Amino acid sequence: MSEPILSTNGLTVRFGGITALDRVDIGIRPGEIVGLLGPNGAGKTTLFNAISGFIKPDSGRVVLDGQEVQTMFPYERVTLGLGRTFQHQRLFRGLTVEDNLRVAQHRHLKAGPIAAMLRLPSWRRDEAEARALVEQMLDVVNLRPWRTRFPWELSYGTLRFLELASVLSLRPSVLLLDEPATGIQQKEVEALGPMLKRIRDETGCAIFLIEHDMGLLFGVSERVYALDFGKIIAEGTADEVAADPRVLESYLGRTRREGAASA
Amino acid sequence: MVLAAPVIEVASFGLARGAVYALLALGLVLIYRTTGVTNFAHWGLGLFGLVAYFLLTSKAGMSPVLAAILSVLLAGASGAASYQAVFRHVKRTNQVVLILIALGVAQFAAVVAQMLLGFEATTLVEPWLPVSRVNVGNAAVFSTQIVAAGAAIAIAMMFLPWFRYSRTGRALRAVAQNREAASLAGIDEHRYSTIAWAIGSALAGLALLLIIPFTAGDRGGVITAVETTPFGNFLIPAFGAALVGGLVNLPLAVVGGFVFGIAQEMMILAPSWWSTRRSVVAAILIVILLLAHTERFFVVRAEQEALEA
Amino acid sequence: MKSLVAPAETAVAEAAPPPKSLSMRMPRLKRAQVLAGVAFLALGFLPLAFGSFGLYIAAYVAVWAMLELSIVVVTGYAGMISLMPFTFVGIGACTTGVAVAVWGWPFWLAVPLAALATVPVSVMVGAASVRLKGLYLAIATLTFGNALGETLFKWDDFTGGQAGHVMERPKLGALSFSGDFAFYVLSIATALLMVWAVHGLKNSRAGRAMLAVRDNEREAQALGINATKAKLTALVVGGMIAGVGGAFYLALLETVARSGFQSPYVELTSLLLVVWAVIGGIDSAFGAFLGAIALITQTVVFQGAERVFAYVGVYAAFVLIIFLLLRPGGIVQVVKIQAERIRENPSRAIPASIIGFGIQVAIIVVILVYGAE
Repeated sequence: MSEPILSTNGLTVRFGGITALDRVDIGIRPGEIVGLLGPNGAGKTTLFNAISGFIKPDSGRVVLDGQEVQTMFPYERVTLGLGRTFQHQRLFRGLTVEDNLRVAQHRHLKAGPIAAMLRLPSWRRDEAEARALVEQMLDVVNLRPWRTRFPWELSYGTLRFLELASVLSLRPSVLLLDEPATGIQQKEVEALGPMLKRIRDETGCAIFLIEHDMGLLFGVSERVYALDFGKIIAEGTADEVAADPRVLESYLGRTRREGAASA
Repeated sequence: MVLAAPVIEVASFGLARGAVYALLALGLVLIYRTTGVTNFAHWGLGLFGLVAYFLLTSKAGMSPVLAAILSVLLAGASGAASYQAVFRHVKRTNQVVLILIALGVAQFAAVVAQMLLGFEATTLVEPWLPVSRVNVGNAAVFSTQIVAAGAAIAIAMMFLPWFRYSRTGRALRAVAQNREAASLAGIDEHRYSTIAWAIGSALAGLALLLIIPFTAGDRGGVITAVETTPFGNFLIPAFGAALVGGLVNLPLAVVGGFVFGIAQEMMILAPSWWSTRRSVVAAILIVILLLAHTERFFVVRAEQEALEA
Repeated sequence: MKSLVAPAETAVAEAAPPPKSLSMRMPRLKRAQVLAGVAFLALGFLPLAFGSFGLYIAAYVAVWAMLELSIVVVTGYAGMISLMPFTFVGIGACTTGVAVAVWGWPFWLAVPLAALATVPVSVMVGAASVRLKGLYLAIATLTFGNALGETLFKWDDFTGGQAGHVMERPKLGALSFSGDFAFYVLSIATALLMVWAVHGLKNSRAGRAMLAVRDNEREAQALGINATKAKLTALVVGGMIAGVGGAFYLALLETVARSGFQSPYVELTSLLLVVWAVIGGIDSAFGAFLGAIALITQTVVFQGAERVFAYVGVYAAFVLIIFLLLRPGGIVQVVKIQAERIRENPSRAIPASIIGFGIQVAIIVVILVYGAE
């Protein structure tokens, strides 16, 4: 068993009197696809925010690639290999699909403005590298036909794929995906599972996934954590977690109490 | 304490200049606050009023006072028209495009003004108020300078309560603070934005009419090539004045106008290196005001977000 | 970094035998490029047909294209509205004047000095741009330009006094660029080189960082882009381009009066530069060239004919507003859209393009006839 690439240790977040995350311990190994399950309000997105640095935890540690990152700014964690998608779109409207994917490679490229203006070899190498990755990304998310289009010309589902490709262009070692299937058509959801596996196989990055589509979540995840009221209530393979009485209770109990089944 | 005559005379020029800045700034603030446009075309729109005044008096032979009133209304109409024709079609979120369009309108107004003036290098315009010299102590000042300052103060005094308490004023403020909520409350955003543009531009027209026809004392005034450039010589200090109130506070914009006007004229009395470089002082002041982000003192957070959104 | 580097290389290897669609497109692209090159060369010789005056105008266009390029970088790429571009030109022109006319430097050494001389002012604007966004930066640059006109450009040693420095056209060994044709070739070559450089900047790490900051500063930072550095780079590059343009501006006119860099003329010219950059296509280096052609046709060819000048000015403002409302990419965007339409539906789009172009020509002819009557 290799060391986890991402782990949290006793991670606790409080909002006023409410404990949103209560001593959460998780560990994700390199190249693993891990699902995060839980009813609405369980604290899933809060956990993502705490890991990626958009919320400051009250206590506990976040360890990324062997480094403690809980006090770092979000962009510093990006530099250490953490990629993340959001529930809302974050793309550049004035750039084409291709250029959105190139901008995301910013931290991996080196050529400066003078090299670019004089077309020096360092610029050529940069652009060749960027182009190769763009081609690969366009293939992975099937966006080739839209490469010269602008984000506002694309459908919502296509935009989600572009966003995914854009985060992948950061070449993360861990990818946090927050409900990637939301808002896209059923046909595209079915393509998403194999796509995530392909991303992992080709890039070797670990994927940590929040998803309400249970078919997708259980189909793709090698391990699943179940979260409720800010606590990890179960952990194991998809089958183990799906059969866990506490998980069923948390969903069914909610369903009865609130009449809002998430699955 | 008796002030020396030159000081009083210079101060009176400063008051007149300050009145112009104050009126321009008032319009800039009104337009920015309700519609989010930094109106770089403000001088150009005011210029329409001045050119209309010239045409009405010299070509149509109208009485100067009547012509002045009509011209102010025409300047207001040009502002309303430019909102309806151009600015209402641009999303407020796109500041760069808004500014570029305002620059285009400024260019348009300046060239049209040159055309209407017949491409003369200088154009004489007659005064529309009686000009006389008034003795203050042992100094002589022009009556029109006092009138200009008085008019600006009077308009500000009337305008501020109106903006605060009248139905239209309240609607304007509602549009400024939250367009969505205002439209939910049945306030027509575009109607009140048009009103803001009309009032702002009319004030700009009045500002020009208070100073240009009197630049040569009782012999009238001269419209020079400087006046027919897109920004004139007055727009930068007017922006400075508006920035005193963070581009959003009306009373402080008026105060700022007088501060800039009087300071600029008083500097004539300063040692020559400074008196020939008055715009440097204005620039330093403006940059300080900009860097202080004065707007944060005057607007509630929601309104600032509405402006920057 | 264990992720994409290795697979990326295999992707290159796989892509080496290009897929069909790509190989189909390559020759077409090349043919279009050849055609464009031929058309360009033909256009390049066009001024010869008008003799000395034609060459002078063409050199003017080339110099003005350099000035427009600085706006492309600062406003088009990085999204900062600077209302002082002509001030940078003035710094370049006066620096060249001092270096050549006073110190006796060769022109070729004065050009890099002119570019470097703009850097302190760029850095000053850059320092302001960190804290000032959008309209606040526009106001700040307007006042900077105004204030520099009353300080830097009142300094006789720098500007050469009221009349300005007098400089001869440059020489390179036995090769003299004093003739109209030689200077035209020199300036058009320099301008095209700069267009090429600025175009290259757009497709690079630094250029894309500027575009990203323009579109969404916060998001750009989330990708690890240093927004301050991107803006400062744009300002320094833009300023240096304007400085080089200023050196050529002086070489073209042989003397430049300082009043042009003082209020209100500096604001006037800066505004004209911005307006025509937008019409040409503000985020495109080629657009700068188009804007320069249009601007010079307006201001120089019809210098005496005030009415033509004014009608074109009104028409330009009108076109600017229409473009900003409907085609913010300017002429370049219109041409691109039209080209795409022709590719999709030639039978309809070709006549439509011809009619549209014809209307434009007709408007300009009407302005000329009516204005010059």
